[in-house]
Amino acid sequence: MKYLLTGGGTGGHVYPALALADEIARQQPSASFLYVGLANKLESWIVPKRGFPIKFVRARACPRSASPWAWFMFAAILAVGIVCACFLLLRYRPNLIISTGGYVSAPIMFAHGILKKIGCARSKVFIFEPNAHPGMLNQAVGRMADRIGVAFEQAGRWFDMRRVAVVGYPVRRELLGSDRFAARRKLGIPVDVPVVLAFGGSGGARAINQAVLESMPYVLARPNLHLIHITGQYRNSHYDAVAEIEAALEVLAFPDSVSTRYHRFTYMETIQDAYAAADMVICRAGMSTLSEICLCGLPALIIPLPKAAEDHQAINARQMESAGAARVIYEEAVWHNGTIISRVDGGALSASILELIDDEKQRAAMSAAARKLGHKESLDLMLTEVENLMEERRPTPLTLEFPLPATSLPEEPNALLRWVRKRTDDQEGVGSLEPCELAYLRHQADRLLVSDVWYEIPLGKRNVGIKLVGYLQYVEQVPLLLSILRDRTKVSLLQRLFGGDYVHGGFLRRNAIEFGIRRLMVFGDEVREALLGALRDDPYFEVRAMAAKALGESMIQSDELECELVAALDDSYPEVIIEVIGALGAVARRRDIVVHLQRFYLHDSWQVRRQVVAVLYCLLERRVVVMEDVEEGAEQILATSPFFAPQFPLKQQLNALAHLIGKTSTEQQNERQLAEKQAT
Amino acid sequence: MIYYLGTYLYETVETLSFLRLLNSISFRAIAGAITALLFIILFGGRMILHFYLSGQRDMPRNYASFSTEGDSVKTYGGLLLVTGVLVSVLLWTKLHTTFVMLCIVAVLWFAALGLVDDRLKVRHGSSDRGLSEATKLILQSVYGLVFGLIYVIEDLSPLPAGLPTQLYLPFLKNPIFDLSWGYIPFAIFTVIAIANSVNIADGIDGLAVVPVAFAIAVFGVFAYVASHAEISAFLIFPFIPGVGEVAIICSAVFGACLGFLWFNSYPANVIMGDTGSMALGGLLGTVAVLVKQEFLFLIAGGVFVGEAFSVLVQEKIGIKWLGRRFFQRAPIHHHFQARGLADTKIVIRFWIVSGILALCSLATLKIR
Repeated sequence: MKYLLTGGGTGGHVYPALALADEIARQQPSASFLYVGLANKLESWIVPKRGFPIKFVRARACPRSASPWAWFMFAAILAVGIVCACFLLLRYRPNLIISTGGYVSAPIMFAHGILKKIGCARSKVFIFEPNAHPGMLNQAVGRMADRIGVAFEQAGRWFDMRRVAVVGYPVRRELLGSDRFAARRKLGIPVDVPVVLAFGGSGGARAINQAVLESMPYVLARPNLHLIHITGQYRNSHYDAVAEIEAALEVLAFPDSVSTRYHRFTYMETIQDAYAAADMVICRAGMSTLSEICLCGLPALIIPLPKAAEDHQAINARQMESAGAARVIYEEAVWHNGTIISRVDGGALSASILELIDDEKQRAAMSAAARKLGHKESLDLMLTEVENLMEERRPTPLTLEFPLPATSLPEEPNALLRWVRKRTDDQEGVGSLEPCELAYLRHQADRLLVSDVWYEIPLGKRNVGIKLVGYLQYVEQVPLLLSILRDRTKVSLLQRLFGGDYVHGGFLRRNAIEFGIRRLMVFGDEVREALLGALRDDPYFEVRAMAAKALGESMIQSDELECELVAALDDSYPEVIIEVIGALGAVARRRDIVVHLQRFYLHDSWQVRRQVVAVLYCLLERRVVVMEDVEEGAEQILATSPFFAPQFPLKQQLNALAHLIGKTSTEQQNERQLAEKQAT
Repeated sequence: MIYYLGTYLYETVETLSFLRLLNSISFRAIAGAITALLFIILFGGRMILHFYLSGQRDMPRNYASFSTEGDSVKTYGGLLLVTGVLVSVLLWTKLHTTFVMLCIVAVLWFAALGLVDDRLKVRHGSSDRGLSEATKLILQSVYGLVFGLIYVIEDLSPLPAGLPTQLYLPFLKNPIFDLSWGYIPFAIFTVIAIANSVNIADGIDGLAVVPVAFAIAVFGVFAYVASHAEISAFLIFPFIPGVGEVAIICSAVFGACLGFLWFNSYPANVIMGDTGSMALGGLLGTVAVLVKQEFLFLIAGGVFVGEAFSVLVQEKIGIKWLGRRFFQRAPIHHHFQARGLADTKIVIRFWIVSGILALCSLATLKIR
């Protein structure tokens, strides 16, 4: 029997394929294997280490933007990959193709599809789908698979359900056999001390590394506590994990007594030892990590990867959280040197770690909940399915019920925004949302804030994030909004020639005030300074107008503010002048304000004049000015107004009638229902 | 049709020789305008009622706020307009000439395109759910391509040999350039640009219809000049035999526009929708190419050019590229609404501007 394995990119796709291959090799010593992957990804060095031959193809992830260049490159590289894969398939002629998903498997899957169409391939295809929401590729190639193994039953909805079997997530057998005492002895850790394990999945995670480094001074201050940190060996032009951590450690300069309790690894071949030794873990929410910690029954602090496709890591993490097996800490968007990055606050992380380490009861409960979620038998299930497939037996039917409730949020940013607005409206404000749901929704805002993708407008996803901050009352992000408002990074010269100004374009700055600051109703000193700055020298008129409006709503009364507002009356845009006058009406305290308003009695725009009249009325009511001040020039106010709002008496009458009809018919219905109830 | 009947009658019956009058382009042009005008005024009320009863009714408009965006009126007034034009054209022109056939195809094609767009919008109850921008452009360029080919290929072209691919500019006597086959993409671009700019300008009651009437009248005059051997020689225009039929079509459209204004004037009983604006725009583009005055549209249709330009600046440069606005709203007439001008005032000012521009473009007859 010849098996061709494909899929990869991350551990989540590689490990199940390898676990299955190990198991098949154990049972059929004569079986031969070939792994097909990408040259620069995880599989390129993991697979040879496990003793399987590997061949490389070319592939690229499906672009998530509308850029024609990205799509062209994607198509070109995929085409080359498919041609290579065709040759591979024709030479190797496998009996079974096992694909674990990920774009790495695309060339082989499409090549097999083509060869099958022209009658050159007879291999069977087994697809494994690890996530609850199938990836794009598996959705596309699911129809040509002979059998689809899914980790979650609900993933079966996307495929032909007669060919779907629930197999759970297979985990290597070695993981289960490890012994706590042996493992600790191996790592040089005493038997009776608490041990925290922190790692970021197969590739390592920068956010986790950085947060762990930040929290170390607090965590290691606890005597006896040991920390195992697996950093990953990621390295590219921007980031070198090992070098960065070593530099940070030198700055921290722990004494020997502390640093002996810190165990650092770049990559751990036998991670089962770390699992066995640990009392709790800090990790990402990839499926392989979660399955492993569930099987080992480890309580976890999960930091989901915010950039995961369809945000599946957060969804996985929330499932663990709702089962009581883990706590979720979301990454937050923070301003960093002119860009927005995503990170975890080390202080918050250390507080959570220490709290969990101290609470043994809680850890036991979480551990029990985690064990309940784990599937030990899933490797056997998968093997049985492979056998079933080769002997053409049907899988056990699914027990899905339709329709299933939609559990995930809409992916499209504006749809997400509408969804959140509806949710908060239904709940009458964010106050009555569950804390973990609110945290999850705020995590969505953070995700969008970090994104620099153009969606409808430049940085459009970030724009939606800004709006979400307001709708979710996310007060912690006010400093970020202010940074966006004050950001003075210029755009390219070409864009400036056409009237562009800063990287965070006019709409973003305006929305930071309109949806952020005005909805949050925070008007501290820093906010007021930022608003005054925007009013004074922002080049975009909508920002100035909105800043004036927000200042008026702040109801802070001070001479400085009044002076600034009066100075802003010189603006050339009527939209701004209108808002400034309105703000003066709300906050002015000096009598001579009328003098400044008199300039606008004969203004070109009737909208400005109307605002002046409204503000005069308001000032009189507030008793800031007295009758005599206003009386002086009031008859000068130019009263022509080139606008009118026509009345449509017939339409109004008709609407009234329609309203009446609608009302009475519902009333009658209600009465009828009442009568029926009484009758029964 | 009346032309053919008249010719047959005066050739066979001696006493009806006064019907030779029908050979006169100016007579047929005036008759065409009056026919279209009267047809629309007489049958318009009934057609509007019919549309209303068949469910194509307008949606309530909120006049109290400045913007009418989002809840625009969706009716098929364009059908009324197109019917008026077609009836008049069928009655008064020489239908067998390529000029007339090209114009009729233009009206029908663009009206059909607009009709589909309108239907989709009405069905979905949203003005964002019509045909996509790309689909519209592709379907418009299909017409442009066919039209360009017929226009340029010598055996099919209604124009004298050598003339079609020449590029004329206003204020200049002689053609500046021979585009050869390059004329086809240019013709496609001209037709699409003009059709869409008219479509954009149709935003307030009566806003598009009068500038269209002015512009089409200007092109009618140019067509008449080009069709007349003596006048064209006197004004040093290329003589295009047979283009007088285009002048008749232009005057029919002029009449139809005025007739439509009867119902469309503020506050409107009916609006032309995409059906009308696309049909008028497509026809205007076709006529501009047929009388070899493509660039004159920049002056005669200056209002449309300005409107299209405002949308381009606001949408493509401002919002999509820079993330800011240049106008309060685009197209520019919505900007004026936002600045607090009443609809009627904006509309009449646009009429004045388009009238002045029409006079300016007529001045290019002599200033060359």
